[in-house]
Amino acid sequence: MTVASRPRQTLRAVRRRVPRKAAFAAFLGVMGPGLITGFAGNDAGGVTTYTSVGARYGYAMLWLLLLSTAGLVVIQEMCARMGAVTGKGLSDLIREKYGVRWTIVAMLALLIANGTNVAAEYAGIAASLALIGVPSTISVPLAGIAIWVLVVFFSYKVVERALFVVILAFVAYPITAVIANPDWGAVARGLVIPTLPVEQAALIAALALVGTTITPYMQFYIQASIVDKGVDPEQYGYARLDVLMGSVLTGVNALFMIVVAGHVLFPAGISVNSAADAAKALSPLAGEQAGILFGAGLLGASLLAATVMPLSTSYAICEAFGWESGISKNFREAPVFMGLFTLLLVAGGVVVVLFPQQLLIQLILASQAVNGLLLPIVLAFILLLASDRSIMGGSANGRTTSAIGWGVATMASSLSVGYVIVTLLGMA
Amino acid sequence: MLYLSEIKRAKVVDPAGIEIGRLLDVAVVPKEQFPAVQWAILRTPGGERIVRWSDLERVSRGYRLKDSAVPPAAGELPPEALRLGRDLVDKQIVDTHGAKVVRVNDLQLDDKQGQLRLVGADVGLRGILRQVGGERAAERVAGLLGRKLPRGIIPWHLVEPLESRQQNVRLTLPHAKLALLHPADIADIVEEMTADERLAVFDQLDVETAAETLGEVEPEMQAAIMGDLDGERAADILEEMDPDEAADLLQDLPEETREELIDLMDEEEGADVEELLAYPEDSAGGIMTTDFLALPRDLTTGQAIERLRELQPDPALVYYLYVVDGEGRLDGNVSLRDLVVAQPDTPLTTVMNPNVLRVEADTPKEEVAALIAKYDLLALPVVDARRKLLGTVTVDDVVELMMPRGWKKRSLRSIAR
Repeated sequence: MTVASRPRQTLRAVRRRVPRKAAFAAFLGVMGPGLITGFAGNDAGGVTTYTSVGARYGYAMLWLLLLSTAGLVVIQEMCARMGAVTGKGLSDLIREKYGVRWTIVAMLALLIANGTNVAAEYAGIAASLALIGVPSTISVPLAGIAIWVLVVFFSYKVVERALFVVILAFVAYPITAVIANPDWGAVARGLVIPTLPVEQAALIAALALVGTTITPYMQFYIQASIVDKGVDPEQYGYARLDVLMGSVLTGVNALFMIVVAGHVLFPAGISVNSAADAAKALSPLAGEQAGILFGAGLLGASLLAATVMPLSTSYAICEAFGWESGISKNFREAPVFMGLFTLLLVAGGVVVVLFPQQLLIQLILASQAVNGLLLPIVLAFILLLASDRSIMGGSANGRTTSAIGWGVATMASSLSVGYVIVTLLGMA
Repeated sequence: MLYLSEIKRAKVVDPAGIEIGRLLDVAVVPKEQFPAVQWAILRTPGGERIVRWSDLERVSRGYRLKDSAVPPAAGELPPEALRLGRDLVDKQIVDTHGAKVVRVNDLQLDDKQGQLRLVGADVGLRGILRQVGGERAAERVAGLLGRKLPRGIIPWHLVEPLESRQQNVRLTLPHAKLALLHPADIADIVEEMTADERLAVFDQLDVETAAETLGEVEPEMQAAIMGDLDGERAADILEEMDPDEAADLLQDLPEETREELIDLMDEEEGADVEELLAYPEDSAGGIMTTDFLALPRDLTTGQAIERLRELQPDPALVYYLYVVDGEGRLDGNVSLRDLVVAQPDTPLTTVMNPNVLRVEADTPKEEVAALIAKYDLLALPVVDARRKLLGTVTVDDVVELMMPRGWKKRSLRSIAR
């Protein structure tokens, strides 16, 4: 049958009949957003939190990581699906469905979460460069200026690729885990037996663990990338695979970080107070060079996230409220966009420079806890929107997906509520 | 002036003054320049109730039903009716004056003798503030700073609503205002739309405008649009485009799709495009167009002008007229001016410039751009090894190569948000 004999058929339908061999090419075509988002999840906050949790609690919180990763898979898939079906970003959907008031709530949550994240990235930059003796009063302003210049004058793709190479230093964790040969039986037990001490520090650690694995930021980012890539419902199958792989890889990477820290630092009673402490986790692999390996990875991850995060936040907010946005515009054309972008970049840097050097790691952990606290708000919007048939049509959440999604939201919220209660009761 | 946010949730009473519900929304049929509000949607304890706007009258604090026995008007609401609050507020619209997509924060209404009309879309900060009840406070703060809050109202006759999806029924709106804009402006606008909205626009534009618009859209998006369009329609648009632009576009499509489309095109245009596709993308052959005017060398200037009159060529083609021999080999070029000022019986060969600058099809495109820039040309002929004229590269095909690097900042936005 030729196409000419049924002219009303769209090309998309024609393409669906393409032979198998084209399937892999189609996958490569839409691949990327999920993996990139997954990698972006392992930023300064991620590395520090995972290492610190492993050092302090050994394998005891691995079960929580398993749940969070499962949650991440489900939530990321929802956002990617929303992007493919509606062709709109998460903040656009929130605005169109829930109006200005709720948009303000959601955008405030995003702004605060990402504001603290930017500060955490600067803290990561300062901590990693402190390993080679650069004080934060020099490293932070320099990084801020470098990011500004990169964003305004260079193609982002080039920057991204360069920094990814540096992040690859984190591949060192799986290798270290194999060399150090931890007690894999204990790791397995940690993964399946839920334990959580009822004390403020443990709850903060748990909240930070969930908050850094499922960041509000990642959800906005994945949906925007899917929309920008023009993935449509027909190609969505491949995009879904990409998102799945990205989320699972993030989780596996995090697992190795906790295991390595739990094996090397936990028995030695080293609590992570500085980047140098965290670097010791890599000593079975890199010995004396562990600091350099760790520092390079942390610097790359922090720089990349510090570049993307202020931009992504400004875009999400400006598009939700209909303000002019775009990096090629100047302050007069896009005052809010440029203002927000600059504010995030400058405020984050100022906080870190003023912060006591020896508490930088604490600052990063606190920022991830803030993300965890704000996560339930963002999750509620995602779950409501992705289940809404008037928006998603036949691609709305099924019962199982919904149940898992709400399960994750409940877990995140109960940790948040638990943390607030414990703090109020002063059970430090 | 009245705003939708101010009458939303207003109390509605029956003739006896007893509250029956609240105003939830109002509906218009967007046909006139400033459409009249024809229906009111009320939220009552018994559910949604739709009444005619003319059955309501304004009272001190809200609206009163003129007659308690007014028939329900739910059945009257045509499918093309727009509910202002549901379908327009918080949604995106096209500002055809500024040629961009903007978000509606509130709607401006005008009440004249009980006839309420939609007159403008508030896309400014005031609209947002009004929705959250902070306009007054913000005005006062601005006043203290000695400034005025700017108004951001777009008159409704300059607004084009976009498709909205309600309960999976896609509302197809006429895009008459959009179609009147310059194709480059339409391209800017569709780039900001979702795939569904874009498709609706391209389905409605006439083939010529659609082709010109498509030529102005970013390359990656061109391919996506082509893929979504109906096959026949896509082929029609391709035929209308310059062959080199059509070839560039097809280059980005998967092979199967490309072949299907070329099959659907007219034989002649399809063959032109196929020929262009054979050249590497970054060579003179890859960027040239096969549209050009070649005059046989044995004509006189008078006959040449006669020939032009018959052909009525595109304005872009008459800057350079090429003179070819019986085998199609390039012998020279001649300007329109030279043709016109010469005596009609002068042979073409005496007025033509025989030393015409030309490139071969495999010349790198950067080199072509450099030549065009250096000699201030509007077009450069492309020949094969035997000097046979294949096509021309016009200045608009290489203008992007001459721009300073980084002028297209858009790519950044696509990843970094």
